[in-house]
Amino acid sequence: MDFGLVYPALVAGRLLLAFAPLPDALKHDHQLSSPLTSYPRLQEGVYLFQHGIDPYSGGLFRHSPLLLSLFSTALPLNKFTSACLWTACDAISAWALVKIWRARQRVSQSSRDSLIAAIYLLNPYLLLPTLALSTSTIENMLFLLSLMFASQGQSSPSLLALALLVQLSLPSAIFIVPMILLLLSDPVSRLASPREFNTYLSSILAKLGTFLGFSFALTSLSVLVCGNWTWVEQTWGAAVMLPDLTPNPGLWWYFFTEMFDHFRPFFLMVFSAHLLIYVLPVCLKFQHDILYATYILAGVYATFKPYPTLSDPGLFISLISLFPETYQYLRYPIVTTLLHLHSALLLPLFHHLWLSQGTGNANFFYASTLVFGVSNGAALLDAIWAGLRIAVGNLPEGYELIQK
Amino acid sequence: MFWRNNILAVLLLCCTWCLATSEEFHEALTFRPLQDGRLATRFTFTTLLRGAYPRDPSTLQEEDESQHYAIFPLALGQVLREYAVTELHLTLNAGKWDYDHWGYPDEPGVGTGAELWAWMGESAARSVDERWKGLRNALSGQFCASLGSLDEQRTTSPELTFRPEGSLPQWGTTHQLRHGTLPSEHVCTENLTPFLKLLPCKSLTGIASLLNPHRLFDADWHGLGVHVRYLENEGIEVRLSFQSVFDPVRYSNGRRDWSLRSVFDRVIDRSCPIAHSSEIRVAIPKEETAVAITPDSYTTHAGFVYFNVSNASKPLDISMSWPDEQKFEYATVSSAVPLTHVSVRRTLKGSSQSRGRLSVSITNHMPITIQTSYLESMPWLLQFYLHSLQIYSNGVSRDDLISIVSYIPSVPHVRPTLFQAILTLPPKSTLHLSMDVIKPFLRYTEHPPDAQRGWDLPPAVLVPLLHSNSSTLDPGLSNPPSGFEQLRLPRRMYTPVLLVDLATPDFSMPYNVIIMSCTLIALIFGMVFNLLTRKFTLIRVSPEPK
Repeated sequence: MDFGLVYPALVAGRLLLAFAPLPDALKHDHQLSSPLTSYPRLQEGVYLFQHGIDPYSGGLFRHSPLLLSLFSTALPLNKFTSACLWTACDAISAWALVKIWRARQRVSQSSRDSLIAAIYLLNPYLLLPTLALSTSTIENMLFLLSLMFASQGQSSPSLLALALLVQLSLPSAIFIVPMILLLLSDPVSRLASPREFNTYLSSILAKLGTFLGFSFALTSLSVLVCGNWTWVEQTWGAAVMLPDLTPNPGLWWYFFTEMFDHFRPFFLMVFSAHLLIYVLPVCLKFQHDILYATYILAGVYATFKPYPTLSDPGLFISLISLFPETYQYLRYPIVTTLLHLHSALLLPLFHHLWLSQGTGNANFFYASTLVFGVSNGAALLDAIWAGLRIAVGNLPEGYELIQK
Repeated sequence: MFWRNNILAVLLLCCTWCLATSEEFHEALTFRPLQDGRLATRFTFTTLLRGAYPRDPSTLQEEDESQHYAIFPLALGQVLREYAVTELHLTLNAGKWDYDHWGYPDEPGVGTGAELWAWMGESAARSVDERWKGLRNALSGQFCASLGSLDEQRTTSPELTFRPEGSLPQWGTTHQLRHGTLPSEHVCTENLTPFLKLLPCKSLTGIASLLNPHRLFDADWHGLGVHVRYLENEGIEVRLSFQSVFDPVRYSNGRRDWSLRSVFDRVIDRSCPIAHSSEIRVAIPKEETAVAITPDSYTTHAGFVYFNVSNASKPLDISMSWPDEQKFEYATVSSAVPLTHVSVRRTLKGSSQSRGRLSVSITNHMPITIQTSYLESMPWLLQFYLHSLQIYSNGVSRDDLISIVSYIPSVPHVRPTLFQAILTLPPKSTLHLSMDVIKPFLRYTEHPPDAQRGWDLPPAVLVPLLHSNSSTLDPGLSNPPSGFEQLRLPRRMYTPVLLVDLATPDFSMPYNVIIMSCTLIALIFGMVFNLLTRKFTLIRVSPEPK
């Protein structure tokens, strides 16, 4: 189908949904927005800021000062602007995803374009957080824009988008290394024919310097907006210290609700370090196809980040559309799909039973987040397996594949 | 005979010494029959230390001057001087004060639970917060109450609502207010015993002998209060009060007649010899029905009947009866006119354990516009979405009727929310104020043992900014606080406390959660590294075809 027809139609459909009365029903949902991305908290922060109260002096507002300055000056938040803006973010994301696909295939247009846009725009894990006006939509857009510019070899815009992303969500710092490496290579698929990655350390350092420069500028801007440094503890600190134990589909919240007080700092350190541990091994193993390494890290990020919502796994699942060559090598695609289906049904049900109905307890929802963790982990393992298995190709007669 | 003379001589000596050091002790008991058949009583024991000054906090480093008191409670005096407290108010109450039917209370502090507030001068030597902490713990030990839990997570400085009731000395430094409420604290016998020990005659003689815990804590509403204030040119005044609302209809067969014997199960056998005045006052109801008061050794003045306990013949048993009334008829709901200018209702709406809506409706019964201050001093157990604040008056959105004076948002585990506003109430109308709130999720160690019960939230406090109407206020106690004439706040009104139902984790399985989450993470981690660190190789499994 013609991309020029399908894409506007999808965006128009999304816009119609955004103007339906859905946002009011969804914006408080814990699975669609976390304390770091919630829309009512953003509104509260903007309200306090406009009334001369430092929003970071309280414990409610944990959004970046950049969003605060944007929405308190240039773009006032109301029903109309937010519906348009959030839909536009998703439209840009889908468009960026299509661009990445074209860059990977080295074509200017392909028959899969419409499919890829549809996979992004119709993914319920992405659609619902956007309708709930979660700022994770903006984070996903920045991630895909950064990836798109990196795929096109445009260094500065890519690093700027990445710096913005890290400002909004500190754990996304795990994408710095793959994004820089992607800028120094190209996005073309070499999964089937691995080769060594050759570059000079100096060029990596140059890109890193650019990124740090952007980050420094944005941090200074934030300090300028707030007039002090309290926002650092409230925004970045929250991703490390986990002060708000509001339930989400991730693995952190219940673990730290039930954690013994004297072990809390130790396990916070372990969980944060655990997220970082994957970066180098994944980049080394997939050095021949850094775009694929970024995709794997997106899966790690979705599974293990401190305040995940459904939109993080949603991004990982939508990215899979870029790698059709791996589909036949996925290890247990049916099991993974069924697991996702299972947890997608359990999560809202048990959340409702626990917090609204009062007939279930916290363990119900915790159990479903564990199932969700299993399904995200299974998807991650499938992706890694397929990315490695493709290099072997079809097995010759009489041969068996083993891991050494 | 010899012994009796001796005791008398000692007592006389005592009294003359008291007068010389000019400490004064006044005791009073006030009865106020209420329109719903109940009886409000208030004991006040006032000790005035004439010519004394609160301790200047700048002298905290130095050795304090020695304290010699005859009737002023030493235990309290030591606490006041140790922490250099200028003004102190502690109340411990149980029950819900029904403003509509009982009117304004004689003692304004009727918030459910424990409430402590103090004005202290600033000092470089020991900060106000440090002294506030010490004061809390000292009073906690003094009155056997859990005031130690009034920590930073419940302390605010709502200066708009809690003005000093006495005067603040001019030391060249500013004074600061610290206020904390603990609504789940209840008053009981263990609080009354140390309270009685502060009285010069204990509960042996005089009016204090009526303080019978079996009856006091059986009352529909009861509460004790300790109020210390500094009155310029006079000295330091300590007022110990016990206020309660009895239901004589319940005791005496459907009639509202009462006597000291029927209410307290005691009569006054002896008067307290060192009291400068000892007085029982009975308010005469404004209604038409005739009342009979015995004994008839009283004087009448301004709607009150006065008995002088020291002169009255002992044993003294005062009684009041409505001879024409066979049975007390409760007023029907429609005919009961609210006794206060303003009525307040506060509710927490919503069934979800993660969010709700706080709703306050305030009705102005007066034909004039009233301004009222509104204070929410909310622990972080309930967090406000101030942007969702809506104000409706008679169904019309009226954002102009509120002006927010100060808002300090809460910080989890650190400090409560402080929300102070001035509301304008149009005449004869109801103002509906509501905002979204979210309920936080606590760590499992932060829940109390009976976690499913929920958490008590402190009352909101309203102060209608009216001109004082002294008909119900005791003339002796309504000295206007000096220095604050501009914003004179007559009477505080406390709303009933709220109960918030917070989501609880499962308390039995911290180990299980740690084990299961760690297992999942370890499994995924292990499998990922298994894939990343090992290489795929082909091996031949069947012999090569010939």
